[in-house]
Amino acid sequence: MNVKRLAGIFIALLFAIGVQAQTSYPMLMTLQPIAIQIGTTGELEVQSRYSMWGATRVIISGDGLSGEVVHPELPPAKEGEKPTEPSLTTLKIKFTAMPDAAPGVREFKLLTPRGVSTVGQIVVTRDKVVFENIKSDTSEDAVVFEIPATLTGVIEKGEDRDYFKFSIDAPTQLVFHCRCMRLQDRIHDLQKHADPMITVKNSQGSTIAANDNYFAADPFMVVKFEQAGEYYLEVRDVRFTGNKYWNYAIDVLNRPFATNVFPLAISATETTTFELIGESVPADKMVTHTPTTAGLSLGPQMVSLVDAQQVFDPVPVYVSEQTILLESMTDNNDKEHAQQVQVPAVINGRISNDADIDYYQFEAKKGDKISFEIIARRRQSMLDSYIVLENSAGVQLKTADDFQFGRRTYWDSRIENYVIPADGTYYIAVYDRHLRGGAEFVYALEITHSTPSFELLLDTAKTLTAPGTGGVVFCRVKRLNGFTGEVQLHVTGMPTGVIAYSGRILADAVDGCIIFQAAKDAPLGASNVRIYGTAVGGDDEDVVEVDALAHQETYMPGGGRNHFPVKVHTVSVQMPSDIQSLKLSTYEITLRPGDAVRIDIEIIRADGFDKNISLDVLFKHLSSIWGDTLPKGVTLDGSKSKILITGKETKGHITLVADDKIEKVGRQQVSVMANISLNFVMKATYSSLPLFITTVPNEVEPGK
Amino acid sequence: MKNNYRTTVMAMSILLLAMLAGEVMAASKFTVLPSEVLLNGNFSQAQLVVTATKSGEIRIDSDDLTHTAKYTSLNENVVTVDQAGLLSAVANGTAEIQIRVGRSKRIVSVIVSDITESPELDFHYSVQPVLSKAGCNMGACHASQHGKGGFVLSVFGYDPSKDFSSIVKDELQRRVDYIRPQNSLLVLKPTAQVPHGGGKRLTVDSVMYDTLVQWVSGGAPGPKQDSPTAVNLIATPGRRVAKVGSTQQLQIQAAYSDGTTRDVTALARYDSLDDGLVKVSSAGLVETLGHGQAGVMVRFEGQATTFMVTIPYSADVDLQQWSEENLVDRFAAAKFRELGIQPSLICDDSTFIRRVYLDAIGGLPTPSETQQFLDLDDPDKRNKLIDQLLGLTGDPAQDVFNDRFAAYWTLKWSDLIRNSSATLGEQGMWSLHNWIRESFRVNRGFDEFVKDLIQARGSLYMNGPANYYQINKNSSDLTEATAQLFMGIRLECAKCHHHPFENYSQADYYGMAAFFSRVGTKNSEEFGLFGRERVVVVNPTGDVQHPRTRETMKPTVLHGEVIEHSLDRRIPLASWLTSTQNSWFAKSVVNRYVRYLMGRGLVEPVDDMRSTNPASNEAMLSALATSFEESGYDLKQLIRVIMTSRTYQLGSEPTELNASAGKYYAFYHAKRMPAESLLDAINTATGTTTKFKDLPAGTLAIELPDTNYPNYFLKTFGKPLRVSVCECERAPDENLAQALHTLNGDTIAKKISDPQSHVGKLLAAEAPVEEVIGHIFMATLSRAATPDEQILCKQIISEAPTVKEGCEDVLWALINSKQFIYIQ
Repeated sequence: MNVKRLAGIFIALLFAIGVQAQTSYPMLMTLQPIAIQIGTTGELEVQSRYSMWGATRVIISGDGLSGEVVHPELPPAKEGEKPTEPSLTTLKIKFTAMPDAAPGVREFKLLTPRGVSTVGQIVVTRDKVVFENIKSDTSEDAVVFEIPATLTGVIEKGEDRDYFKFSIDAPTQLVFHCRCMRLQDRIHDLQKHADPMITVKNSQGSTIAANDNYFAADPFMVVKFEQAGEYYLEVRDVRFTGNKYWNYAIDVLNRPFATNVFPLAISATETTTFELIGESVPADKMVTHTPTTAGLSLGPQMVSLVDAQQVFDPVPVYVSEQTILLESMTDNNDKEHAQQVQVPAVINGRISNDADIDYYQFEAKKGDKISFEIIARRRQSMLDSYIVLENSAGVQLKTADDFQFGRRTYWDSRIENYVIPADGTYYIAVYDRHLRGGAEFVYALEITHSTPSFELLLDTAKTLTAPGTGGVVFCRVKRLNGFTGEVQLHVTGMPTGVIAYSGRILADAVDGCIIFQAAKDAPLGASNVRIYGTAVGGDDEDVVEVDALAHQETYMPGGGRNHFPVKVHTVSVQMPSDIQSLKLSTYEITLRPGDAVRIDIEIIRADGFDKNISLDVLFKHLSSIWGDTLPKGVTLDGSKSKILITGKETKGHITLVADDKIEKVGRQQVSVMANISLNFVMKATYSSLPLFITTVPNEVEPGK
Repeated sequence: MKNNYRTTVMAMSILLLAMLAGEVMAASKFTVLPSEVLLNGNFSQAQLVVTATKSGEIRIDSDDLTHTAKYTSLNENVVTVDQAGLLSAVANGTAEIQIRVGRSKRIVSVIVSDITESPELDFHYSVQPVLSKAGCNMGACHASQHGKGGFVLSVFGYDPSKDFSSIVKDELQRRVDYIRPQNSLLVLKPTAQVPHGGGKRLTVDSVMYDTLVQWVSGGAPGPKQDSPTAVNLIATPGRRVAKVGSTQQLQIQAAYSDGTTRDVTALARYDSLDDGLVKVSSAGLVETLGHGQAGVMVRFEGQATTFMVTIPYSADVDLQQWSEENLVDRFAAAKFRELGIQPSLICDDSTFIRRVYLDAIGGLPTPSETQQFLDLDDPDKRNKLIDQLLGLTGDPAQDVFNDRFAAYWTLKWSDLIRNSSATLGEQGMWSLHNWIRESFRVNRGFDEFVKDLIQARGSLYMNGPANYYQINKNSSDLTEATAQLFMGIRLECAKCHHHPFENYSQADYYGMAAFFSRVGTKNSEEFGLFGRERVVVVNPTGDVQHPRTRETMKPTVLHGEVIEHSLDRRIPLASWLTSTQNSWFAKSVVNRYVRYLMGRGLVEPVDDMRSTNPASNEAMLSALATSFEESGYDLKQLIRVIMTSRTYQLGSEPTELNASAGKYYAFYHAKRMPAESLLDAINTATGTTTKFKDLPAGTLAIELPDTNYPNYFLKTFGKPLRVSVCECERAPDENLAQALHTLNGDTIAKKISDPQSHVGKLLAAEAPVEEVIGHIFMATLSRAATPDEQILCKQIISEAPTVKEGCEDVLWALINSKQFIYIQ
C-alpha cells in the first residue's frame, strides 16, 4: 500500500469518525529498540504521548535511512455505535538502513492528522542490534550476545539493572560506547534524564571495569580482558532511578574506535591525513581522507575514515574555508615561544598534557576587528577551553570561557569582535579550564577578521497548519560582530498548498515571524523547510545569508520552556481541527503616537469545539515572551481588548496602541494568534494572515 | 625473748640506717642543670633540676632530686632561690647557689644582668605571659565571647593590641592607675584584694604581680611590632622512665625570634595528658600515679611541647613465645619490654576468621567459608585468607571479595569526606561515591587518591573528586577538612586565635587557606537542560587575608615554605601534602588504619595528631608510616602488614596483668561492629536481606552510597549523617536504644522468624536439632557450639512451645550476645 493511498484511507476514516477537538500532535517519547543495523530492515516500536493514530509518514533527517508506518487496523465498532478513533501511543515503524548509510544518530518525525510530531531519534549502527527484553534484570537472565554488537534496552524502572552476557576466547580489548542521555535532550516532555552507568563483571561476579560518564552522562570505556571466559555487562542508571523512556544503545566493539581526530579542522576539498585518537586506537594511527569532488559542507561534520584494515566509525571534524594551520611541533607554551600565525586562519592545536598552554602570536593594526573562536567540545574534544588575549606587554586584554552558541552554552570559547587598540603584536593563549590535557584535547582556534553577521534561532522544530488556517514560527536573531541591521526572513521547500509570509526582524528588535497559511484544499502533508535570513552586512554592503537553526522545544520541571537544537524545521498540514478560520477586520494598520486601533477577530470553530480561545500578538509562555514582532512603541491594550473568547463565542478584538517612542517602520509583519490550551503547559497556536503595521512618529519640527 | 626482741630491733635499726645511708650515698651522686645560670633583666627566673646520676650519667630512669635537694643562695642580694630550686634575679652581679643532697653538694654560678631601677617592660614579652599563666585570657574567663565583668581579652592573647586597649584604654582607663600602680584593678582583682569572679589568681609580691605593677609604673607601654616572640619550647627532661609515686621537676626553655632563650618554667602552663597516670603542678612538678606511658603538655606563648614519662608495669616480661611477623610485632614487643607488659595469647582460628572478615570487608563469613577455613591444615592459611580478602592473590577465582572490600572502605571514606546527596545532589553524590569505590577497587595509591581530591577540577558529575569543592565551599572549610582528613590535624582553632595546644598560629591557618583561595565553580549544560551541572575551576585571582593584620597571605604549607604556582596553587599543595616531606600524611593514614583494624589508634583521637598528643608507640607509628610510604601509599599492603602481625591476631581477652595496657596493643581491642556491618551480619546470620530505598534488592548496608536512609536500625546504631570530618561522628558507644532495638525491635524479630531464613529452611527440611544449633553458631559466631552450649541449646529448644520457636530463641540470644555484636 503506498503512502498516498494510506493517507487517503485515514482521511476518510477521520471524517467518518468525526473531528476530535483539542487534540495535540504526538510527542515522541521513545523508540524500541532504538537502533537499526546498516543494511537491514526492522520493525521498531515508537511510543508517544498523545495519539499517533492516522500517522502516514516518517520524516527523517539525513541520508541512508527510510521509515514506513505500520499502522494498525481500526478496531471494529461495537454494534450500533460509531467507530471510535483509538488513542494510539504505540506504533510500529519499519525502518530500513541502506547499505551505504553512515552510522550515527538520525532524527525523525511522524506526520499525523493532528500535525507533525515532535522529534524522535534512532541510532544507525554497523553492528548487529541486540534488544534487552525487559526481563534481563539479573545475571541469570542476561541476554547473550556476540561481539561486535549494539545492545539496546531501556532503564525502565527504579532499581533496574539490565544484564548482557558475552564470551571471549582469548585476552582482548573491547570498546563500550553508550548512547543514552544524549538521546534524551530532544525529547519534548522528558523532564528527568538518565545518567547511565556500565559495569563489566567476570563470571565470579567481580567487577572488571566500570564507567559512569564520558560523553557527558554517557559512559565510554575501553577494557582489556586478560583472561578468556564469560563476562557480564550491567547497565543501570547511576542513581538506580528509571523511566520507561530511557533507551540506550551500547556499542560493544572489538575494533578500534576513535573518539577524536587531529587535525580537527580541515579543508572542504583537500586531502587530510588524520591522527586517530582513542584509547582503543593503536598509537600514531594515521588515516588519509580525500573528500569527494563535491567537497565537504562547511561547518561541523562527521567523516567516515577507511584504511586498508578497517572502516572506522565516523569522527567529528570542523570544515572551514579559512587557511588551515597546525600547531607547531616545537614548544609554544609561553609568549616567548608563541607560534606566529596570520589572520585569518584556523589553527589545529592540542592541549597535550596537564596545565599545557598554547600561545599564538599575530600582528594587527589599530582598529582591526578580530574574532577568536574555539571549536572543540562541540566536536567531542575533551577540552573545556579558556582563551586569553594579551598584548606584547603581557597585559590581559580579554578572556573568554564558556560561550552561548545559539540557545545553548558550551565549553567552547569565543572572543567576538575585539577592536585592536594599537598596532603591534598580540598573543592568544589557549588552555583547559581545568588544567587537564591529553591526546583527546584537540581544538580548532579560528581567528578571523570580524564581519557583521548573525545567528537565527527558530522557536520550534515544527509549524502546524490546517486547511484554511495558518501557523506561525518565530525566529530570533543573535547579532554578531557589531551587526545592527534588520534581517529579512525567507523560507523554501513548502508542503503543497501552503503559502509562507516571511516577515523581518527590525533593527531594534530580535524577533521576526513567518506565517504559513494552508489553502482550504491543502492536502495532508509535511515537508522539511529551509528558513534563512538575509541582511546587509558591513561597510561593503555585502548581503549576509544565514540559515536558521531549528529547536525542539522542551518543557522544564515546573512548566518552564526550553530549547534544544535539532536538524530541521518541518511544516505540516494536518486535518481541520478546533479552529477552522481566523479572520481579522483589517490586515493593514498605521499607527501614530497616541493612536489606538481596534481590530476585530472572528473565528470559526469546529463542530463541537466549545473551549476557551485566547488571542495575542505576542508569543508567550507563562511570563516569558518568546516572540515579539511588534514595532517599538506598539503594545496591545488589554483594557480595550477582548482576548478571551469563551464557550461558543466566536468574536473578539484587540486594540493596538502606539506611544510616543515609536519610530518610522513600514509594514512590519505581525501574527494575531489564537491559542488553545492542550494541557497545563502546552497550547495549540493558530495564526491569522499577516497583520502589517506601519508606525509613523510625529515629525520633528526643524530646529527643535 | 625481751633481749631477743631488743637485739632484733637493734639489728633492724642498724640495717635500716645502713639502707638509708646507702640510699643517701647513692643519691648523693647527682648533677644539677643548668650548671651556670644567666638571668637577664628584672623579674627573670630560672629553674634548677637536680638529678641522681649513675656512673656519672643521667639516664632515662634517673631519679629527680629537685624537690629533696636543699638550696642556698650565697648572695641573696643578687639572686634568691626557693626550696623548689627556682631562682629569682634581685640585682646585677654574680652569685652562687649551693645545692645539697645528703652530704654532697654542688655549686651553680649565677650571673644577673640588665636589672634597672625603672625597667620598661615589654607588653608582649613580659605582660602577656603573666596574663596567660594566670588564666586571664582563657576562653572560660576574660577571653569568652563577652569577656567577664566587661573586661574582654583575646583568646590566649592572639590579639595583643586588642588586649592592650582592654587593659589600658577601655572603661576610662579604670583598670590601670599610673599614680599608684598597685591600686590598678589589673592587680587588685587577680590578687582578690577586691571581689573577683575568677578568684585569686596572683599573690601579692609574687614575681608575676610585681611584673604587672612595674609595667603600669612604667607607663603601661603597648605592644611593639618588633617584640621578640617565642618560636620554640624545650622541656628538660623530655622523657623519663619512673616508678609509681616518682616526681620530676620540669625546666622549660623558650627560644625567641631574636635568637635569645629564656627560662619560662614559672610562666608556662602545664596539663596532664592522662590524669590517671600523672599529675602536674602549676610549677611544673610531675608526679606519677599509675603504670603506663603518659605525657605532660607544656604551653607558653603559642608554643607547646610535651614531657613523656613511662611507668613500667613490671621489671621483667617473658616474650619468648612472641614471634615477630613484621614491623608491627617488632615495635609492639619493644613497647612490651619497655613497659613490662605481657601480651595476651594469639586468638583461635574461629575468632580470627570472623575478625578478619569484618575488619577487611565489613561482613561475616558464611558458615561454609568458615568451615572451609577451619578445616584447612595449612600453617599459612591465615596469611592466605588475608590475601584473598584483600584481593592480592592475583587469581580471579580467589579474589572474589574485591568488590566488598571496595564497598566497605568506600563507606569509611565517604563518611569522612562527607559524601551526601543532601549536599551534592544525587548525581554528585553518586559521582563521588563511584570514584571512591573505583579507587579502592583498583587499590589506587592513597597519595594519588588524595592528590585527586585536593587538586580536583572539572565537572561535579564526571569527576567525582571535584565534589570535594562542593562539600567544602570556602577556603576555611577546605583548610580545616584537608588538615584533619589527611594530616590528622585539627586546625580550626587557629582560624580565630593561636591554637591552644599546638604551635599553629593564624598565619599558619591562613597560609594554608591561601592554597584554596582561587577555587571557584561555573555552571555547565554538559548534562543537558536538566543536568544542573557545575564545574570546579581555578580562577586567575583570589587571595585570603589575615583577619587581624589584614596581610594578604601567601600560600604556605604548615610550618613550611611559601609555594606559589602560576596556574593552580593546589598543585604544589597536593604534592607537598602527599610527599614524605609532610610526615603528617603517612602517619595520619597509618594511625587511622591501626584504629580501624586494631580498635584503637596509636594516637587518639585519630584526627588530633600533635606533639602534645603523642602516640602510644611512636616507633611503631613511624615505622608503619615509613613502610606505607615505601609501598607507594598502598592501603592494601598497609592492611596486610597490620593483619598479618601477631599483634593484630592476639586474643581480645586481657590478662590480669595487661588489662590496663590496651593502648599498647597487649590484646586485641574488641569493638562494636559499625551499624552497616552489623545489619549485614544479621542478614548473613539469618539468611535474610534488607531492602533499602531506591536501591536494588540485595544491596548490602555497607554498599549504601548516601547518608539518610529511612532505616531505624542504622540510625540507632549510629550511621553518621556525614556532617563532620571527625571520626567521632560515627559514635561507637552502645546505648539503651540499641539494646532495646536488638532485644525487642522488629528488625531482628522479623528476620529470625522469616520462613525463608536459613533456620526456617533447615527446619522445613526437617534437619536434626543438632544441625540447626550447629548452623546457628557457625552463622553467628563463626564457630561450632561447645558441648555445653549444645546441651543448653537443646534444653532451650525442648522447653519451647515448638522446635521452631526454640531455634528462633537460640538464634535471637546469640544475635543479642556481645560475642555477635562485637568484633572480638
